[in-house]
Amino acid sequence: MSYQYGQGYPGSGGNPHHHPTPGAPYGGAPIGGQYGGPYRGAPQGSQYGGGAAPGGPYSSYGTPGAGGAPRAPYGGQAPGGPYGGYGQPQGGQYGQQPPAGNIPPGVNAEAYQWFSTVDTDRSGYINLKELKQALMNSNNTAFNDETCIMMLNMFDKTRTGRVDIFGFSEMWTFLQQRRAMFQQFDRDRSGSINSSEMHQALSQMGYSLSPQFVQGLVSQFCVRGVNGIQLDRFIQVCTQLQCITQAFREKDTAMTGNVRMSYEDFLSGAVTKLM
Amino acid sequence: MAYQHQYRPPQFNNAPPDQSFLWNIFQRVDKDRSGAISDTELQQALSNGTWTPFNPVTVRSIISMFDRENKGGVSFNEFAGVWKYITDWQNIFRTYDRDNSGFIDKNELKQALTGFGYRLSDQFYNTLIEKFDRQKRSQVAFDDFIQCCIVLQRLTDVFRRYDTDQDGWIQVSYEQYLSMVFNVV
Repeated sequence: MSYQYGQGYPGSGGNPHHHPTPGAPYGGAPIGGQYGGPYRGAPQGSQYGGGAAPGGPYSSYGTPGAGGAPRAPYGGQAPGGPYGGYGQPQGGQYGQQPPAGNIPPGVNAEAYQWFSTVDTDRSGYINLKELKQALMNSNNTAFNDETCIMMLNMFDKTRTGRVDIFGFSEMWTFLQQRRAMFQQFDRDRSGSINSSEMHQALSQMGYSLSPQFVQGLVSQFCVRGVNGIQLDRFIQVCTQLQCITQAFREKDTAMTGNVRMSYEDFLSGAVTKLM
Repeated sequence: MAYQHQYRPPQFNNAPPDQSFLWNIFQRVDKDRSGAISDTELQQALSNGTWTPFNPVTVRSIISMFDRENKGGVSFNEFAGVWKYITDWQNIFRTYDRDNSGFIDKNELKQALTGFGYRLSDQFYNTLIEKFDRQKRSQVAFDDFIQCCIVLQRLTDVFRRYDTDQDGWIQVSYEQYLSMVFNVV
């Protein structure tokens, strides 16, 4: 199935946890529809109608093809769906008109344009260097390597550390969503998310974490001279948090918020979830 | 050597390579002459012996290990450490890759990790192979082998810190678990 980026899709199907279970010691389940706000000009719920994969937001990112789980090629995207419009006032503009050029089926037209620009060596793939050159935080610093590598791995079907146009199109959609979330949570429009904004953001996503923990997280991921975390680290933190939470959940069968685990339990949980 | 000629016998047994030798290599790898070797530059210089690009995650792990100022690359002084680190791993890898295929299989991985002191179940070796075999051959290439060892080492270190009574079991809360695993892999 598709990767974990089902999280945050407005109207995402297949996610049973619309609210954190009362009394559950940790959350992690996104609340459906709450990220509708930033996607201006597009009707909520329909825009990403095809986007949410059954299996919920915690499916196996980073294990493309592993375990033999059947996955529709480039699944999770509604072909021809109006992905292009968000972030812009006119929603859905790319969905309605025939795309220019030879855009492969299922590929977002805007992503296609970007791909041609970013693939500077015309290899048909975008590698780490090219991706890094293309992605910027709001203060015009390049994305950090870890986030770029993480995203390449998430959307790389060839396991060679680079993405083709189809993988890139999915990455594009993922990035736009995360950017919209980021902008929504960056309430003071400073270009970074400070620890109180982050605490609020994570609560809204369904995680119940102490302010102290979130503060530690933010200081671990903030760059010198910036008060808070920028878009690249935000994407990194959210993705890692989701995967690690899933690993914990699988061990915490009694839902007590405490787990006793052996050395090898610990290793296999971390290794399985985090690649 | 890991650098360019992957399976040449080591030229410098135990003796550290001299500075001019390293400087030569450094200059060739530092293509943009910035004075620091970036991820991309190191990746292009390294070979895993299988004609596929060197695992960028491994490259990142190695650079972050030696990049003291967090500048996103390694200077010449730091490069000496990188060189030795990769050469050491290569010597280890070669010991287990007896047929010089560029890959080690599950049994060889088991021998290697057992040699390092790990005691792990057969099932867990399957997990490791599945996770670190990027090329889907049920074997692990040199770059993925390094990454596998780095991850195991980091996870073991953090587990040890929590396993205060050293019985091989820990009891952790959700937040403790998050802190343990965050950014390890």
